[in-house]
Amino acid sequence: MTTIYRDVYSFLELVKKTVMSLFLKPLRVKETFQQLYFVANGSLWIIVFCVCFAAVVTILESSFHMKLVIQNDSMVPGFASLLILRELGAVVTALLLTSRVGAGIAAEVGSMKVTEQIDALRMLGIDPIQFLLIPRLIATTLGCMILCVVANLICIFAAMIISDQVLGYTPSMFLTAMNRFVQFRDLIFSVVKAMFFGMTIPMISCFFGFRCKSGADGVGSATTQSVVFASISIIFLDFILSYTFSYFY
Amino acid sequence: MKVEAKVGLLGFFSLVLIVVFAYLVGLISPLRDTYDLNIMYNYAGGIEEGSPVRVMGIKVGKVRSISFTPEYKLPSGEEVKLKINITVDKKAWKSIRKDSKFFINLAGVIGEKFLEVSPGTLDQEEFKSGEYVRGEDPPRIDQLISQSYGLAGKLIEILNKNEGSVTNMITQLDKLTTNFNKTLTLLDKTSKNKDMVRLLDNAVKISDDLSYLTAGLRSKKAEESYDIMHKLLFRLEPLDGPSIRKFLQSEGIKAKIF
Repeated sequence: MTTIYRDVYSFLELVKKTVMSLFLKPLRVKETFQQLYFVANGSLWIIVFCVCFAAVVTILESSFHMKLVIQNDSMVPGFASLLILRELGAVVTALLLTSRVGAGIAAEVGSMKVTEQIDALRMLGIDPIQFLLIPRLIATTLGCMILCVVANLICIFAAMIISDQVLGYTPSMFLTAMNRFVQFRDLIFSVVKAMFFGMTIPMISCFFGFRCKSGADGVGSATTQSVVFASISIIFLDFILSYTFSYFY
Repeated sequence: MKVEAKVGLLGFFSLVLIVVFAYLVGLISPLRDTYDLNIMYNYAGGIEEGSPVRVMGIKVGKVRSISFTPEYKLPSGEEVKLKINITVDKKAWKSIRKDSKFFINLAGVIGEKFLEVSPGTLDQEEFKSGEYVRGEDPPRIDQLISQSYGLAGKLIEILNKNEGSVTNMITQLDKLTTNFNKTLTLLDKTSKNKDMVRLLDNAVKISDDLSYLTAGLRSKKAEESYDIMHKLLFRLEPLDGPSIRKFLQSEGIKAKIF
């Protein structure tokens, strides 16, 4: 138990230092853009591909269940869109970013730790948090928000096509049904969720990267742990945020 | 292309998507021409912002906002405390007239609430955008239930107070039904008796003959005959024995009967 407390304390300490560095020290703009390119542009096609299939599954499963229960699936486009906006878009994007970007950050920072590059940075008087974490934090947060918007809209578009081709609801009928349930604030809440998820991923990845033990095993272990903990944190955060946002409805 | 430009393009694309989404959900509608109406209710039956507005069953707008107006009074002096601001598309605006009615209605498998507008008559004026109009309050199911509870309570009270007479009435009704049933059974049996059937057949024939006869009696010829007979009797009335004898003697007939 003592180890868990110590780990939580270390993580909170890292969060505190990050927040202070974020507001007190100058930003590495070029590095931030490089990271943003890696996070957003680099993950775009993977995310689009995955959310398209997630949308297909959502719409078909919803239709199947509705037909099973009330023998009518006319409401499916509406609440499938709501499900996509409230949950699927943000969570799938964040989980995919965790496995691609989070693992990458943990491995990169872990390798730097193992090869004593982080110690070298400290020796040169450079704050590793300022140098490594802040650009990644900003890039992942912004990237996650951008990708969340793209994922949500592409997901709805894919759902619309499937509704037209499989369920027989024309795009106009789909949009009418969607309008019945979906509001603009659903997208806002989704982006807010993405922002929190985007902050969580580099924080956890860098935390495990900074604590990486020496050797190839250490880097592998840090990467695995960062993906696992980031995924768990995203699911947990999703619950908290969904519960909080439910008060606005 | 520079990394910054690529990232910027993606960011711009996501902003465009946000605008498209806002347009799809009706938050922004630069190309749409709509009019506003303020419908006043005292009870809105669960309608929400974004609920559809339908004219003759066709969606033509939506509820834009709902606000409480505790101090609002209609020109008639009636206090109406709930304002529902709706938008109506230009295409349906001319169908809504001063005599249109604004109902709150239910539709669909999940009981979606919507605002139904009945079309007005052509001789009535159109509304002006932003005008205030009184809506038809939907029936309150909760009140109906509570009233029916009260009614049921009173019925039970009456039944308890007049338990003896109610029981007696039910017994009498039971006897009446039994007797009526017996009578019906008897009638049924009678209608199956051969003699009775023959009797009824004959009665029908007699009735037909009588009908034919009376029809003959009502004919034009018959009426003429009645007139002649009437005149004859009128003329015969003053006749007596000496007069008849005199008549017969004058005719050269010897009548010994007188």
